[in-house]
Amino acid sequence: MLVLINAMKSIVRSKGRNILIGIIVLAIAASSCVALAIRNAANEAETAGVDSINITGTISVDREKLMASAQNAADSTEGGRPDMDSMREMMSQYQDLSLLELQAYSESDYVKNFYYSASVSLNTTEGLEAYGSESSSDSFDDSTGGGFPGEAGNPGGQGGPGGPGRMTMGDFTVTGYSAEDAMSKFISGTSQITDGEMFDTASSDMNCLVSKELAAFNGLSVGDKITLANPNAEDETYEFTIIGIYADSSSSNTGDQMRFSTSMDPANLICTSYDALQSVTDNSASVATTQTDDFGNEQSTAVMGQLSSAFVFGSQDDYEAFDAELTTNGLSEYYTLSSSDVSNYESSLLPLKNLSNFATTMLLVVLVIGAVILIVINVFNIRERKYEVGVLTAIGVKKGKVAMQFVTELLCITLLFIIIGAGVGMAVSVPISNNLLSSQIEQMNTQAENENANFGRPGGDQNFQPGGGSGLQPGGRGDMGGMMSVFGGDPSNVTYLEKINATVNLPIMGQLIGIGIILTLISSLSAVIFVMRYEPLKILTNRT
Amino acid sequence: MSILELKDVCYAYDSRAKVLDGLNYKFEKGKVYAIVGRSGAGKTTLLSLLSGLTSPTSGVILFDGKDVKTIDRYKYRSRHVGVVFQQFNLLPHLNAVENVELSMRASGKKIPDKRKIATELLEKVDLDDQLSKRRILKLSGGEQQRVAIARALSYDPDIILADEPTGNLDLNTQEEVIDIFNRLAHEENKCVILVSHSSEVAASVDEVYELASLRKSKRRKEAITGGQFI
Repeated sequence: MLVLINAMKSIVRSKGRNILIGIIVLAIAASSCVALAIRNAANEAETAGVDSINITGTISVDREKLMASAQNAADSTEGGRPDMDSMREMMSQYQDLSLLELQAYSESDYVKNFYYSASVSLNTTEGLEAYGSESSSDSFDDSTGGGFPGEAGNPGGQGGPGGPGRMTMGDFTVTGYSAEDAMSKFISGTSQITDGEMFDTASSDMNCLVSKELAAFNGLSVGDKITLANPNAEDETYEFTIIGIYADSSSSNTGDQMRFSTSMDPANLICTSYDALQSVTDNSASVATTQTDDFGNEQSTAVMGQLSSAFVFGSQDDYEAFDAELTTNGLSEYYTLSSSDVSNYESSLLPLKNLSNFATTMLLVVLVIGAVILIVINVFNIRERKYEVGVLTAIGVKKGKVAMQFVTELLCITLLFIIIGAGVGMAVSVPISNNLLSSQIEQMNTQAENENANFGRPGGDQNFQPGGGSGLQPGGRGDMGGMMSVFGGDPSNVTYLEKINATVNLPIMGQLIGIGIILTLISSLSAVIFVMRYEPLKILTNRT
Repeated sequence: MSILELKDVCYAYDSRAKVLDGLNYKFEKGKVYAIVGRSGAGKTTLLSLLSGLTSPTSGVILFDGKDVKTIDRYKYRSRHVGVVFQQFNLLPHLNAVENVELSMRASGKKIPDKRKIATELLEKVDLDDQLSKRRILKLSGGEQQRVAIARALSYDPDIILADEPTGNLDLNTQEEVIDIFNRLAHEENKCVILVSHSSEVAASVDEVYELASLRKSKRRKEAITGGQFI
């Protein structure tokens, strides 16, 4: 009681000194508050984001492992030269999983959803022209014999059934979707139906969506029918009914990109249901003929579909559990489950993480400088109050209690000004953090633009786009892989978090008070040491 | 039985010559003592020893038969001894009443209505309500001295030590203060020890101890020890 009453009286009576300490504590508290709020918001955004994103994963052949395995076999045999035959054999042995196998794996409890799509390349017929084509004769033979060129380095790419066969690139890409979830461009808003309606993904009716550009180019409208042909057999045709027309925003800014054929143009993408496309490939297979080329290889005229699939997981834990389950279910080690969602999301948090690191450094600097200033002020303060220590101990107040009184005074001032500082920090943390974050994004965009300019690429406006206001949006739905990325948005697009909710909450207040207590204890330690060293008689005699 | 006893007490600051040498005094309850001597004779040093602010270089000081060195000296100072320091030693950021209350609180004794007791004590030493609410630095030397006296009496100690308690007071107040000390000893059975130059003070107490200065000459043996002064 003595300690508390004395402390309170001292605080009230020595306003100037205490206000000076208070201002320093206020500055420390406000800047610590902002730094803690930024750190907290960054952590929350990361945790909440990872928790809320649906992770999509694909199973594909681990070609690197296949190559390494073939190389190892060669090392043990003939002087380290790669055994091309065994490599080819392994390649043909471990091909992409069939839809049936993938569907069997999708039965797992860890899989929240499973969807897939297939794409084929079809040609124009009389009265229909591909958008952007100079003539209809720009198709070419794909000597690689295995599907479309996927996006290099994209782990999601799932090649279609390759093998023997001759594939000629047509003018259009027709993609069949098993579910609306698979239509990532429509979900992300890159594509939007402007006329007509969506086809039924569960139906095998030959209904389709065509792009606005293609419709305008050929004067097509909803309800019209288009006929597409097998590029390998011109008389094998398929008729689709246009049920809707969509606008694709990505088609407007991809004009500079080099394409292998007009079918690569997003404007020439025709969307239909997977079952409808399946009926095309089934029919084509049934009427296909086989020919032997000049090299003696057998080639089929059947339209080959390239499959893309995606498993959707509710959380990262489910994703990892499914990965482990695949191995126990006997999936060969040459297949791998991969997902770019988590890394994409982490990339989207990069500016925020940089900001968080900056905030941490700022916090440490503020705390160290603050502690030093408080220690110095306290030392001067105690020296100034030496007489008080002498009087109190002379009338029988124990040194410990005197020291406790000084600590209590400092603690009360610190807590009071920490609360005020938190109020100030609360008011400024959101605008300051968003300002710093936007500077960070701007800096990264400038850097990216410079890099693009150095490599002779078009401007960086399509590379890094700030995210929308909610602040906790994941980086976007995972693309379905190589095929999708060709038609969809650039998978390297990272949507940065533009705004964070750097508010001051109870845990931050707790941390601030903890900081206050630690600062008080550190700075008053000097006071305690001084008080303990003083002898009342000496103080009072010296004063006399 | 004496409440306070000095047995062959010597004191020297650091390694220098002794200030006090071979003191053997006894102080009893119900009496007023005066310690007199020239400047530098060690009067204030003796007061510091009696109040437990420092310990003798040799010899012992017994309080109620116990060596002061071995007891809790903070408790001794805060409960059993009331000291009126020569320089008053009041806290400047507190007013007169608060200084008195502080001592009561420091004693750890359960004293109800501290404010009332403090005000009454200040009134006794002729400080009215208005003066008692003034900060210490706004009081004159004499007023500060009276606050220091009130503070020393506030927690009802067994022994009252006062260093020149009338030094800053006018003649009338001096007499009043001496009366207070005499009443405390004779009516309330306290042991009052005054350190003073004043012959008036020496004349009004029960016993006088004179300290001879050891600094200027070796007159220690000639000094009167424990004898009646007048």
